[in-house]
Order: sequence, then C-alpha cells, then structure tokens
Amino acid sequence: MRNLQLSFNQTQKVRLEKALERLESLSSKSNPNSCVTVGDTIPVYEDGILKGHGTSDQKGELAATVCGVVERINKLIYVRALRARYKPETGDIVIGRVIEVVPKRWKLEINFTQDAILMLSSMNLPDGIQRRRTAVDELNMRSIFTENDLVCAEVRSSQGDGSLQLQARNQKYGKLERGQLLTVDPYLVKRRKQHFHHLEEYGIDLIIGCNGYIWIGDHAEARDKMVVDQGSNSEQPIAKCDKNSMDLDEQDGTYTPQEARENICRIANAIRVLSRLGFNITVEVILETVNLSNSLNLDIHDMLGSEFYVLVAESEAERRSLSKRKR
Amino acid sequence: MEDSYETPQPMQNSNGNGTMIVNDDEPVTCLHDVSFPPGYVPSSSSTGAAAAEADAKPAKEFPFTLDPFQSEAIKCLDNGESVMVSAHTSAGKTVVALYAIAMSLRNKQRVIYTSPIKALSNQKYREFKEEFSDVGLMTGDVTIDPNASCLVMTTEIWRSMQYKGSEITREVAWVIFDEVHYMRDRERGVVWEESIVMAPKNSRFVFLSATVPNAKEFADWVAKVHQQPCHIVYTDYRPTPLQHYIFPAGGSGLYLVVDEKGKFREDSFHKALNALVPAGEGEKKRENGKRHKGLVAGKLGEESDIFKMVKMIIQRQYDPVIIFSFSKRECEFLAMQMAKLDLTEDDEKVNIETIFWSAMDMLSDDDKKLPQASFWLLRWFGLLSFVILLFLSSVTCFTLVLHSLSLSVSLSVCVCESPAAETFSIGLNMPAKTVVFTNVRKFDGDKFRWISSGEYIQMSGRAGRRGIDERGICILMVDDKMEPSTAKMMLKGSADSLNSAFHLSYNMLLNQIRCEEGSPENLLRNSFYQFQADHAIPDLEKQAKVLEEERDSMVIEEEDSLKNYYNLLQQYKSLKKDVRDIVFSPKYCLPFLQPGRFVCIECTRGDDNSPSFSTEDHQVTWGVVIEFEKVKGVYEDDANKKPEDSNYTVNILTRCVVSKGGAGKKTLKIVPLKESGEPLVIIKLSSARLPMPKDLLPLQTRENMLKSTSEFLARNASGLPLDPEANMGIRSSSYQKLVRRIEALESLFDKHEISKSPLIEQKLKVLHMKQELTAKIKSIKRQMRSSTELAFKDELKARKRVLRRLGYATSDDVVELKGKVACEISSAEELTLTELIFNGVLKDVKVEEMVSLLSCFVWQEKLQDASKPREELELLFTQLQDTARRVAKVQLECKVQIDVEGFVNSFRPDIMEAVYAWAKGSKFYEIMEITPVFEGSLIRAIRRLEEVLQQLILAAKSIGETELEAKFEEAVSKIKRDIVFAASLYL
Repeated sequence: MRNLQLSFNQTQKVRLEKALERLESLSSKSNPNSCVTVGDTIPVYEDGILKGHGTSDQKGELAATVCGVVERINKLIYVRALRARYKPETGDIVIGRVIEVVPKRWKLEINFTQDAILMLSSMNLPDGIQRRRTAVDELNMRSIFTENDLVCAEVRSSQGDGSLQLQARNQKYGKLERGQLLTVDPYLVKRRKQHFHHLEEYGIDLIIGCNGYIWIGDHAEARDKMVVDQGSNSEQPIAKCDKNSMDLDEQDGTYTPQEARENICRIANAIRVLSRLGFNITVEVILETVNLSNSLNLDIHDMLGSEFYVLVAESEAERRSLSKRKR
Repeated sequence: MEDSYETPQPMQNSNGNGTMIVNDDEPVTCLHDVSFPPGYVPSSSSTGAAAAEADAKPAKEFPFTLDPFQSEAIKCLDNGESVMVSAHTSAGKTVVALYAIAMSLRNKQRVIYTSPIKALSNQKYREFKEEFSDVGLMTGDVTIDPNASCLVMTTEIWRSMQYKGSEITREVAWVIFDEVHYMRDRERGVVWEESIVMAPKNSRFVFLSATVPNAKEFADWVAKVHQQPCHIVYTDYRPTPLQHYIFPAGGSGLYLVVDEKGKFREDSFHKALNALVPAGEGEKKRENGKRHKGLVAGKLGEESDIFKMVKMIIQRQYDPVIIFSFSKRECEFLAMQMAKLDLTEDDEKVNIETIFWSAMDMLSDDDKKLPQASFWLLRWFGLLSFVILLFLSSVTCFTLVLHSLSLSVSLSVCVCESPAAETFSIGLNMPAKTVVFTNVRKFDGDKFRWISSGEYIQMSGRAGRRGIDERGICILMVDDKMEPSTAKMMLKGSADSLNSAFHLSYNMLLNQIRCEEGSPENLLRNSFYQFQADHAIPDLEKQAKVLEEERDSMVIEEEDSLKNYYNLLQQYKSLKKDVRDIVFSPKYCLPFLQPGRFVCIECTRGDDNSPSFSTEDHQVTWGVVIEFEKVKGVYEDDANKKPEDSNYTVNILTRCVVSKGGAGKKTLKIVPLKESGEPLVIIKLSSARLPMPKDLLPLQTRENMLKSTSEFLARNASGLPLDPEANMGIRSSSYQKLVRRIEALESLFDKHEISKSPLIEQKLKVLHMKQELTAKIKSIKRQMRSSTELAFKDELKARKRVLRRLGYATSDDVVELKGKVACEISSAEELTLTELIFNGVLKDVKVEEMVSLLSCFVWQEKLQDASKPREELELLFTQLQDTARRVAKVQLECKVQIDVEGFVNSFRPDIMEAVYAWAKGSKFYEIMEITPVFEGSLIRAIRRLEEVLQQLILAAKSIGETELEAKFEEAVSKIKRDIVFAASLYL
C-alpha cells in the first residue's frame, strides 16, 4: 500500500493486506464528498459561508486549492490538507537544527518553507538572570547554540510575510544532546497537550515535534548540568564494561550508558516502523510497539524486519477495533 | 533609622516568617516585615553579592531626605528582594518606584511599570520619560518605543504579553505593580492575580498599594508563589494630616469631627447631626421619586448648599478643591451651579484663555460645536469663572485642559463624577487642599450603596498638597438619609482589606490551555483566592470547635418531645406565611387597599431577635392605609411585567414610637407588602374603612385620624377582619389546602403534652438557640470542606465542558480553531463574538453595520428612553441575541451558573444608531443628537470598540479569513478619527 521497500513472503503479504483492510474499514466513514482534490467544487449548503484555508472563490463556486478533507465549523469551510508540508501554528513545539548564527538570532531549519528565527532575547540566559542582552551576550551566542546543534523551541508567532519567530519559554527547551533525531512525515504528528514525554521505565526523553522531527534522548533533568552529572556518575560502574567507545564522552561528562543507548534505538526503530506504515505517532502507540518488540524478545535490529511490520499492523488493527467497540 | 534596622533573619519557627518592626522616636514610623516562602533558606552568597554591588553607590539619590518607609523599601530593593509598600496616596510611594527603575537601568535590566488606568499610565510615562529618557509606553491605544528598558503599561497588556511569551518577559528583572489594591476590583481584579502568578520566575516585584490591613497576607502569597522573600513596608503616615468636617444639609457651618491626629470628636459629631435641618416637610413628596437629589436640589432662587459651601471654602482660602459626586447628572448640575462663581484674578484669566484656545485648536472645527467642548468650556472659560466639568478621564480634551491647568495655574474648583473620581483617587496627580463629598452613595452595578470606609480613605487622601498645605481638609456633606452610624463608620473605619476577586473566564482558560506548560488548575492553585481560602481553614476549625462546645453545654430536659413540638411550631409558622403570601399577593389584595382601610400590622421588636413561640399572633397594632405605589426596580423594566407581579409599598398611618424623641410621635411608615423580611408586615385587612382627609401632612389632621382609629378599635375589638374566602374572593385550591392543614396542626398543638409545661417559652427559646448553633456549625463545616478542595473546581469543569461542546477545545485539552479566535478576544464577550464570526453574521453586512453591531459588545449602560435602531440594525441585533441565547443555553446545560435572559440582555443596542452614524462619517455633535448618552461614555465605548476590532483583526488572520480581516481593518479606519481619538496632552 504505502510502497514499503521490504521483501515480504506470501503469507506476510496477505496478513499485512488483511490488517490494512481492516484498518481502513475501521476508519471513520466520512462523507465521500468531503474528500477533495485541487480544483474540485466544494458543495455549499447554506448562504453566508466563510472561506477558510485551502479554498478559493472560482466564478461563484467554492473550489478547493489543496487535496484534502473539507472541514466545516459553523459556517466556516476550509480544507484540511492530508499530506501537506508542515505549517506552523502559534504554540507548536518544534525541533530544529541551527543552520546559521546571525546577529542577535539563530536561524533554524524546521521542515517549513522558510527558516525559523530564534532571537537571543527569546531564550533564557544560561544563568537564569533576567536582564537585557548585551553585546557580550551576542558575541557569546555560539556558546549557547552553534551551527548544527539541535534545538527544541515553541512557535511564538508567524509574521505576515510567513517568517517565523520561535521562543524557548523555560529550561525545558533548548539544546538537545545525547540522542537521536528522527524525521517522519509531519502529518503523522497530531497536536496534543503534551509533546514532551519522560519515559521513566526507559529513562528516556521523547519529544515529538509538530514539524515531524522526533527527538529520542537520554533523560536530562530539566537541563541542569549538575543533576545530569550526578545521574550519569552513579550509573557508570554498570556500564564500565565497554570502554573502547566511551572514552571521549566520558571526558566531556556527557556519557550515555549502553542501556540507555539501546533503549533509544529500540524506541527509534518503533517510530520508524510506525511512520513507514503511516500510523499516527503518539506516545501511547510508540510505547505499545516497544512493548510488543520486548515481549517477542526481538533484537533491536530485527524490529525493522518485515515480520515485525506485519505484527505491528495487526496489533494496531486490533487496538483500534477494541477502542472502537468501547465507544 | 540606620541603627534600628537590622537585616531580618528568618525565625526558627516552622513557617519561617521573620518579623521586624522598625519603630523610632520620630513621629513618622513604619512597619517592616518579611515573608519567607516555606522552607526558604536565605543564601548569603546571593544577597552578599547584590549588597556588595549596592554598597558602591545608590542607584538614585533624591534631593530630599527620605521618609523612613521609603528608605526601608529602598534598602530591600538594594538587597534585590521584592517589596510591598502600603501607604496613603500622597505619602510618596512613587519614590520607591523611581528607585527601582533607576536601579534596573543601572544594571541593564528591563523594568516594567503597570498601572490599572490608561490615564495614569500616560501620566507616569511622561514623568518617567523626563527623569530617565529610556522609557516606553504600551497601552491599548498607543505604543511608544516598545524596546525601551523601562516600559509603562496597563496590567492587561502585561498579562497578554505573558501569555504570548513576549521576549520582554525574559528580560524583565523588576515588575512594579502600582495601585495593586485594585486586585479587589470585581471585574478586573483577576488580571492582577494572573499577571502575578505567571510572572517570570526570577524577576522581583515592587507592589505599591493603598493602606491595606492584610498586606502581610498578600506578601505571604507572593513569597509562596514565587519562592522568594517578600518584604512589607507599611505606614499610616500622611505627610499632610487630614481634618474631617461634616457639613449638615441645610445647615450653615462646618463641624470638625476628626482632627489631624485622627481623634474622633464625639461631641461635635452630635452637634453636627443636631444641626441637620430635616428635609423640609414640603419636600416630602419629592422624596419617594428622586432618591439622591434632595441634598443639592435646593429651592429655586435660594442658594444651594453646595454653592454656599464653595463660597465658604473660597472665603476661608481652603481652595483649590475637588468635589466628588457619584452621578453624572448630579455632577452636571453641580457644575452649573458653580458657573456663577468667579474665582480668578485678572492675570489668571489671561492664562486660562490662552490655554483654552490652544486646547480648542487641537480639535476640528466641527468638534468645537460640541456642547461639551464649546458650550461648557466657552461658558466657563469665556466667563472666566474657573470650573471644569470632568466627565470622564478618557475625554481627551478635558483631560488635556485639566492637565495644562494643573501645570500652569492652580486649579480652584473641580467637579468630577465617579469613574473619574476613582481615577483621581487612584493617584492622578491633581493635588488640592480640600476634598468635598456631596453625596456618598454610589451606584455599583445593581444598587446604591454607601461608599466604604476604604474608598473614603482613598479619595479623601487627595486633600492636602505636600509641602504647600499644613493640613488637608475633607468635607462630608450629610443629609438626614444618612444614618449617623454609617457616617461614623465611614469616617472612623479602617481601610478595606485586600481580598481576591478571582473568577474564571473563557479567554483565560483557553489561553492557559494553549500554553504547553500552562494549566488552568495550576493557576487556580496559585491564586490569591486559593491562598486566602487555605489560610482561613485553621480559623474556621477553631470557630466550629467553640460553637460545638457551646452547643453541647446546653442541656434541655425532655429534649425529644420538645423538639417535636418545636418542629410543629415551625411548620405552623411556615404555613401561616404561605397563607399570607396568597392572601396578600397584589392580585387579591390590591382592590382592598383603598385609602382609609384599617390594617393590622406586626410590630418589630427592636433589637430582640429571638422569635416568639406562641401560636397566638404577635404584638400587633392597627393603622390606616394612606396609599400604595409600585416599587420601582433599579432597572426600570417593569413595563413588561404584569401589575400582579410587581412589588408594592403601602403607606400606612399608625402610631409609632421614635426612640430618640421618647414621646409618641406619628410618622409615615412604609410597609412592604411582599417581603416579609422587612420590618413591618401586614397581617390582616379589616373590612371597615375610614373617610380620609385630603392632606395628611399637618400634624393636627394626623392626630385626628389617629383618634378616630382608636375609637373605632375600641368599638370593634376584633377589627372586623376581612374573610379571605368570602370577602376577598380567593378561591385557589392551594389556599384551601393550607387552611385545612393549619387546622390539623392546631389540633395537634392542643394534644401535645409538653405544651402544658409552664416553662415552655424559655425552653423553646433555648432549643431555638441550639438549633441555630447547629445550623451555623454545619455551614462552617461546609465552608471548610469547600476550601480544602480546589476553589472553582466545579466551575472549571463546567466551563471546560462548555468549551468542548462548542468546539473550542477537544477533550484532551487541545485548542481548536474556534478557540484560537476566542483566545484573541479579551475586551468583549469572547464566546458570543466568536460564534457570530463563525456563523458568518459579520461576513455579509456592510462595514458600518458591523461596527454598529459590535457596539453592543462594549456598551453596558442601560438607557431609559433609547429609540429602537432602524430595521437593518434591529435585524442584526436579533441575530446577536439569538447567538447569545444559544451560547447561554449551552452554558446552562453544562452547569455553569448563568442567567440566560440576563446574559442576553447584557448586550445593549442603545448606541447602535450613534455608532452607525459615526462609522458613516458623521460629526461628533451630530451623533450626540442621536443618543441621549453622555459624551464621555460614548467616547469610551468607541475607543473600546476599536480595541475589540484590533483583536478581531488578529483573530481573522489566525483563521485565514483575509476578507474579514480587511473588513475589520476598514472598520478601524472608519471609526478612528477626530475628537474620539484626539491625542491627549499626556503623550
């Protein structure tokens, strides 16, 4: 279906198709009219409608300008694009990569048509002091973020010309270290109340950015250097066994134990599977997939094998039919 | 002072509150106290560093010696700790603010100064700008230099900045909240709580407040919420002491009641009251209709009290004077009276004329035709008497004139009306030597009330200019409607305590939900309201315990059967009351209330509150009906009520004993018919009537009347009662049922054994007291339970339900498109307005019509005789009402406490026509002819409308409705012109 580049054997193919069919039948039986492609006329049932995003007035008829689903709120009609590029909204949590350090601001790549801007003043100073930024602060900007750093921030506002302002409200935001970044299709990430997750049983931080960038990293206690140090020190005796790779990190005091690394990889692979199958990515589904792999005693690299794909699809179909019945 | 001050150390007790009192031999003393957050250990390193820095040089030096409270507060600032300064208006709190600003500027930090009122913000902006230059201003109207280090703004702007996460929040080291006691304001107070709770973690605060008795509690709260110590500096000190005088209505002299040492002079207070000329007999007719005119109306030709008094003030050189009055109409009237006075010297006249014409030049030619701008001003300035009618502080031209006057020439008399009065009392720089209160009753939304002692203290604080006057003079005009006790309370009372006025709004909820880490629950938990509720718990527990002990100590014999009897009695009483309610519903009894009918009245038992316990009727007396009239509600919507439903008062002539006189004196008494809670209740109507003389006012006729009444009663002892069924024609089944039940109960009484007990009366009284105690304990316990829970928990749930139902947020707290629109609207009813937008109502109408419709959101006053808007507008208004009704109904279904019709009626169409005309381009004097409203109110409404439109522009942008956005922008350009938005001199 979603041109998975995997070699399935015959039974796996049948099972997967079956599971996907089942999923399709479970999806909400929306009005077929509500799906439109570019140029389609959107039926209007009443007067005085409001044209929202993705619509255009074409000779008295309302036409769609994107492919997607027609949404109606009272009299507002707009088209929600199905597989669109990420479009930032105020309050979104995003992850971006610093591509340029310019006066008073960083430019971040956030999977949007334009680069986003994080002002130096929109960012708490490392020592937490409230004051105006000085020229010295500006010179020291690279000590906070430098090129290619990964940064987590919140969308503050988008200007009329489409340029984007970011902000880091508190210590929770900021530089991301010791982990993996995954890129998924942004439409798989739905806006939720919480985008920061601390998975305690794995000791992992999971940040699901609205722009389709997902961060999986070793848990850092509110980005307070002192606490992180103590945490990793206590774990060191356990992970001392493989020294060869760790020497460099150890010197930095940013040591990630083997176990945490494995957890990161396992979660990352779970997300990879989910995104390839085209399932919405939420923390619940990720955890379920991780648990499934654990219960099957699968090695991390085996999670990307075709058998696991089929299993995940089947369990997802099972889960959705269960939750549907509950309602 | 230096040696008496030590760095306060936290005490070793559990709550960690250090107390330190600075008390010197000097007369000017202040109280210094510190609140530490629970579990706080003052880290010596941080304070030490700050102190070292501060030791170098004070951030600002003042040309005068500081008062102790000022230097105390500044020391706290130097230590880098928050401080709350509570002092009288003129005491000089601004010094503390100035120092905080100077200090922040020195440290390259940002500082924010917030005040409750735009006019005050403007004034402070000017002051600070002169002093520091790196100052910006942000109010709803204007933004000047938003990148400056010191920003002056209104608290609302600061709040929305924090929600939006403006970068300023990351740079501000000090936040100065001026007039923080505004937090108890019913409508806007919650903004202060939100801003304080959400303020950046590492910033420090300066709170400037009027004297509040519970400053400590406030500081405790700040310390807890922000985990930082908060100092309190409290002083009662007034730089110019106040003398309070009473001017009795109709009298001719002033009586000193409170001297400058704050001593209350009992004797002269009574002398003043005795000098009261009772509102003359002739004026009696007027009394019922016009509630608050009496005092100033005076008789034609004769000089009114106020005029006499102002003359006296001028003679005694008590000027300049501010006269406070609390109704616009009265204010206008007073100003008219003043116009006769000529108080200026020749050179002043020239001065005034220049100012006047320069002020007029700022207005367009058409606006000069305004009655207010030209007639009033021309008249007064033209005649060169010196009066200013300040309708509202927002009426720019007046503010402007007023201000320039205070700069160049001393202002002599200034009459102002209540909203402006509040502005004045809140710290606008308008010093005067004397303050006069014409009438101290104030309309607060639904009823007239006396101004509280706290408000009185605030406003009287305007009197006395520092360094110029030796003392300030405060004159209270008292008429006989004012109880002596009320006056005394007001003069002697203490300042109002600072209580939370927290309440939820949808805008607040949506904004909180939208923030990643924000949650409404968190805000509630940290609110001052919750803090106060938590604080009250130990107190309540104690109370409950005491009451319980008291209850248990009461022992009654045969309690069970007595209780039984007691319950029967209660039932009997309530049945009787039900019967009375039926018989005396206006529907039945109105036809029988002709003048001259005898009525039986229940007497009030003065101070003895315990109810009697016999089945017999209470002490009764007989009187004669004089007349009855409908009680007029404050909102005069009686027109659509049936005559049966309205309330009536019946005037009855009867023998009354006035306790003061001692002798039997006959007066008119007013007997409410429907409310049995009032002092007098009619019990029976007699079938007999007396012929009534026409004029009852002469004493003689009344004496005669009374004589014939008693004669009649002597002849017919029973009073010949009207039989409800036979004579009055009451034939409802419920009445008959009630009568039967009463009969059954009466027979039960006779059978009851305990009724024969000789001590039954006393026993019942004891039991009654016990029952009341039990009820009290119950209510206290309920209160305790509710305060242990999160305040507003249920309401929060209900309101979230509403948001989900209407599609503003999802069940897992994600704000939807509609919610994002509502987030932007904070100056109008957000739900109804959002629904209107999404229903496309604003889409099809013309711009002018849309503006006119939106005016309903900003206009709250109720006009008596407003003409209906034309048809197109009327149609729009109906749509608005429908939407509002739907919104209200959803709220009701979701269990939000709401009065659906009241909510719908809160949208007023009264100024739709005027605003329509204004948007069409009419001149201001033209639209003033359309609506009978005050200029100031209209200007304020149009300005607020512009604010709403600005918010709507943002909202339209967020849903991608470019056409609507353009429409709103066009609307703004149409209404933003001429006098309404004339630039004020303040800027």
